[in-house]
Amino acid sequence: MAAIETSGLTRRFGELVAVDGADLAVDHEVFGLLGPNGSGKTTTVLMLTTLLRPTAGSARVAGHDVVREAARVRERISYVPQDMAVDIKLTGRENVSFYAALYGVPGRDRVDEVLGILGLSDRADDLTGTYSGGMRRRLELAQALVHEPEILFLDEPTLGLDVAGRRAIWDHVADLARRGMTVFVTTHYMDEADRACDRVGVIAKGRLVAVDTPAALRSGLGGERVELATDRPAPPVAVEGARLVSAEADRLVYHADVAAEAVPALIADLAAAGVRVRGLTVAAPTLDDVFLALAGRQDGGGGFDYRSFRNLLRRR
Amino acid sequence: MNAVLAYFLRDMRRWLRGRFNVWSALVMPAAWLIFVGLALPTRFTESYLDFIAPGILVLTMLSAGMQGGSSLIFDKILGFLNKFLALPSPREAILFGKILFTTVRGLLQATVIMLLAILLGATIFSPAMVGFAYLVLLVFGILLSAFSTALALYVEDHDGYAAVNALLSMPLFFTSSALMPYDVMPSWLAAIARYNPVSWAIDAIRSFAAPPVLWASLAGLGLLALAMVAGSSYLFRRVTV
Repeated sequence: MAAIETSGLTRRFGELVAVDGADLAVDHEVFGLLGPNGSGKTTTVLMLTTLLRPTAGSARVAGHDVVREAARVRERISYVPQDMAVDIKLTGRENVSFYAALYGVPGRDRVDEVLGILGLSDRADDLTGTYSGGMRRRLELAQALVHEPEILFLDEPTLGLDVAGRRAIWDHVADLARRGMTVFVTTHYMDEADRACDRVGVIAKGRLVAVDTPAALRSGLGGERVELATDRPAPPVAVEGARLVSAEADRLVYHADVAAEAVPALIADLAAAGVRVRGLTVAAPTLDDVFLALAGRQDGGGGFDYRSFRNLLRRR
Repeated sequence: MNAVLAYFLRDMRRWLRGRFNVWSALVMPAAWLIFVGLALPTRFTESYLDFIAPGILVLTMLSAGMQGGSSLIFDKILGFLNKFLALPSPREAILFGKILFTTVRGLLQATVIMLLAILLGATIFSPAMVGFAYLVLLVFGILLSAFSTALALYVEDHDGYAAVNALLSMPLFFTSSALMPYDVMPSWLAAIARYNPVSWAIDAIRSFAAPPVLWASLAGLGLLALAMVAGSSYLFRRVTV
């Protein structure tokens, strides 16, 4: 039996369908749930961690139903939400000991051990208020790991961290997976997911649109990534066989079926608009491209729906 | 039980490490004792300080208890509550930890106020009286903190909580027997005051200095507290985010 199994998992907030019929099986791997803000990632995690009841469908975590056997599920999991909640007036050791007591883990040995694993031994007796963001996040991991969960849920674990902090978190995640833990992580950083996750699921507007390894998703998309640097802000010209991925002031990114055919046409169209191309990069598609192809451009079209936005904030 | 203690110790440590907020809550009851207890000219009693001291002790617990919910509000806003709710320990432990912390904090503050009252010349606090006052304040504190913590579970943000708190605290205090005995109140106020649980706590403490002791008032508070704890536990058990 898989560590996490969902079937038709659905959650509605009034009119808004935050998660729409998700079918998923995750086991002994690092699984990344990818999606833009407000796509239903956190809602999914809240249901899997028993904090939110599904409107329809079901989910089993560690072999137990998240609604009927919520208490059994909670014994086998740890959950680190994205808020970064550590008590700044307590020391690192006190923060972890607190969770050890809540999990019923006796003695100080395990507390010292996890502090050591997360590289916090030196600063264990300092108030957490003096910790950097990366250290606080590692402290939260220490809290979550103190009772040796089977399944670890991390919601946006690298949000707001610097490069070194992000790398440290992903290194720890990889280490945990090697020891047989199932790690379910949400993120909207595609490059990080590409490197760190064994498999990823792409969620867009509540629908799980693809589940596979990052490599399979990239090669499944096919085509090439064409990046054009221009000498002035360029109009997003359209040519056949190439789809616009992103358009910044002087940088256009396309996903082309065949770059050798699309590039001359793009350069010609831009020249017609009075824009000269100063640089050109052709590369294999990234997970970003896959994501945009699957999820579409979320910020295009459609007004800002204030009510859904409020609902999402409230339910976060 | 371990989990209750863990939640209690966490809140206690955080509170005691705040330098300012440990003392600031004492300012209002101390001001009442000094500026009203010592200064107000009254005809119905020899020592107004002795009369008002039980009322101020209960006021101290009233504000401490009603303030208790804001601790849960911050846990909710800052994301702690979500982590706690996903833990295997029973969810009532969160509630009982808050009740224990809020009540103990109120008792500590009441102790300072009691010492201040004695220092100012209050004569009613015999050792047995002090013990009885603690008992009444304990039961009253459990009632209030169970209420305010469950309230915090359902209020969206801190402003909303502060508004409800202000809406309840002062009227409860002024419609109680804290400031004057029933026979000098206007009849409409006396009618309200007799049904106010804040009066029950004050009357019980006062009655110990001038028997017969009002055990019925204490029992009434105890029953209310039991019902409140039971209701709040039910809400905590079934809460989702």
